[in-house]
Amino acid sequence: MASTSLLTRKQQITDRKGEQMTTWSRRVASITSVLMAGAMLAACGAGGRPDEGEGSSADVVGVTEDTVKIGAHFPLTGVAAPGYSEIPSGHKAYYDYVNANGGVHGRKIEFIVRDDAYDPTKTSQVTDELVLSDEIFAMVGGLGTPTHSAVVDFLNGEQVPDLFVSSGSLQWGDDVESKPHTFGWQPDYETEGKIVGQWISQNMPNARVGLFLQDDDFGEDGEKGVRQYLDDQVVATERYTSGNTDVAPQIAALQGANVDIVLGFNTPSYTALTQLTAQKLNFDTKWFYSNVGSDPELVGSLLARFSEGAVKDGSSLLDGVLTTEYIPGVDTPDDPWVKLWQQVWDEHGGGAELTNYRVYGLSQAYTFVQALQAAGPNPTREGIVEAIEQAGAEFDGPALAPFRYSGDSHMGISGLRVSELKDGKADALTPVLVTDIGDAPITEDNSGAGNDRPPEDGIPDAEG
Amino acid sequence: MQQFLTTALSGLTQGMIFAAFALALVLIWRSTRIVNFAQAPMAMITVYIALVIIDAGYSYWLGFAAALLSGLLLGAVVERVAVRPVEDKPHINAVILTLGLFIVIHALAAVIFGSRYRSFPAPFGLSGFKVGDMNIALTGFGVFSILAVLAVMLLLVLLFRFTNVGLMMRASAFNQEVARLLGVRVTRMLTQGWALAAMVGSLSGLLIAGGNLVHPSYMDSVVVFGFVAAVLGGLDSPIGAVVGGLILGVSLSFVSGYIGSEVVALAALVILMVVLLVRPGGLFSHAPARRV
Repeated sequence: MASTSLLTRKQQITDRKGEQMTTWSRRVASITSVLMAGAMLAACGAGGRPDEGEGSSADVVGVTEDTVKIGAHFPLTGVAAPGYSEIPSGHKAYYDYVNANGGVHGRKIEFIVRDDAYDPTKTSQVTDELVLSDEIFAMVGGLGTPTHSAVVDFLNGEQVPDLFVSSGSLQWGDDVESKPHTFGWQPDYETEGKIVGQWISQNMPNARVGLFLQDDDFGEDGEKGVRQYLDDQVVATERYTSGNTDVAPQIAALQGANVDIVLGFNTPSYTALTQLTAQKLNFDTKWFYSNVGSDPELVGSLLARFSEGAVKDGSSLLDGVLTTEYIPGVDTPDDPWVKLWQQVWDEHGGGAELTNYRVYGLSQAYTFVQALQAAGPNPTREGIVEAIEQAGAEFDGPALAPFRYSGDSHMGISGLRVSELKDGKADALTPVLVTDIGDAPITEDNSGAGNDRPPEDGIPDAEG
Repeated sequence: MQQFLTTALSGLTQGMIFAAFALALVLIWRSTRIVNFAQAPMAMITVYIALVIIDAGYSYWLGFAAALLSGLLLGAVVERVAVRPVEDKPHINAVILTLGLFIVIHALAAVIFGSRYRSFPAPFGLSGFKVGDMNIALTGFGVFSILAVLAVMLLLVLLFRFTNVGLMMRASAFNQEVARLLGVRVTRMLTQGWALAAMVGSLSGLLIAGGNLVHPSYMDSVVVFGFVAAVLGGLDSPIGAVVGGLILGVSLSFVSGYIGSEVVALAALVILMVVLLVRPGGLFSHAPARRV
């Protein structure tokens, strides 16, 4: 009996503690909300003053007379950091270059990067900081499918332009009504899957095809595209969970199904892991890796050590691997765009080497500057979204195929070409092919986007 | 047939790695009666030390030895500096402390060595053997792993069963007061236990790293599976740890290959539950009545 009453007493004490906690936190909450309301009133007061001039942008969040503040979340640490952490440095270098040459409509671009370690919980947290405390004008280039999915509704709810998500998931552009402020940038994985699927059905019509897919939107969207053309050729589908590094059972299953080619929609670390595992299993097959996972330099540097001295240059370990390209990369130093990136990078890159991930960031930053130019001398959040919808499809830039931006679609680059890696370089196997999601046909690109040349000063002009 | 064989063999190597890690947990449990959650990051740090040495151009084996030695030292230092102050408190304090260490060492490694993926070399070939048309999915390094883990298991059994030191270690873990009265220098035994366990941990770290990619959290998945393996085996028995590791490794490999990699963690939980329902003390517990 005694012990029971003791227990109840203890229970009461903890309950009371809990109560105290709630009142306390309630009090803090109410104080905070009063403060917040005050701050908001003050902000409105500042913005609500009668305008000095028509269309002045003094009341646009993140835009002042001489600056535009933008931000993004990137994995600077953690599993996805290899490669991806270099993208924001490309952005930064290009904005520095533009700022040094007078900025956009006289405004300098301020770029704030926050680390989310590829962890959706952290993405929410740093996005809150960017939007509410840094008060950015727009999110530009936020990276990752699982990560960005966590904040896309918040950004649209706050009506923050969410431009050029660094991910090929379909959801950034296929439903403009529910996400009116979000835009994709790179070709989506379904488009990539369709184009590769068609190439294989035409060039290897009798091949037994195996799929190696990341177990999320990335793999799913890619598979959807591939199956449009290869449904009867696919004999095995294996999925891996990101984080589980033992892929031997999956590779063994592909080997058991006697496949002639494996199509991998996976990240760069898994390209290295599948190659290592295939070596262990003496599994000799043809490989295709999605653009996302095929950077020969990064994967090569991971594999170089395991070549046991036989091959000095790690990137040649990927010889014969198929992949896709949608912007010129560092393997073509004579391309006019790559020349421009090299020049920008030499001036503002801080001494490190130019890599394909940095080129990706530079190219994405170029598109943002184009959008900001198109939004006119007094940019507003609605204004830049409208400008991209109207002018985006005509943007000249490094992309080999045009963007699909319109009032009905916020999908990014419309196509790519299939190529084969040799000595760390990509040899094009097809011309640039364009298509769209769903059953849109695949056609050769005749927009001439691949022949665009950068402007003399390296900065897009107001006409885009 | 080929797929079956490959899945089984790769599960076997994977299981041996779980076993190595479980052995370290068993060792520390037997000598101090706590579970060391910081085992994985401690091992990871020593593997990075090996990598630095190998990257500087020295031989693999020098790096290997350095990792084991620094594991030994790190174990002793952690016990002396961090664990000693809470040793006479309830066991849970020490366990929570090791969780804290887990986070601290992780962060430290990221600061010192960076968080990018790096490749770790292996001293033997990384291609599987071939017998006629059949491919045997065992690499030279895989065979080495299996032999190394079996050797460590044997040495631990010998240590605990047949040496004075082993007896004293068990005694001091089991009942410090009585052991002290009988003339055992308990604190020294605890330090030794930590040092040895950390060294076995380093070995498991090296075996996972060989011919693979390392980054500060590369051992995190092994923590969970290694722990499950140790509990399967009864947390008390070196042989149990190895058997537990093998059961887990092989069955998870089959689950991953024939059902799907997304249910691997679930399968581990199911195996653990079934074993604990049938034998609550684990497969190899010989004193089920003992209360800790």
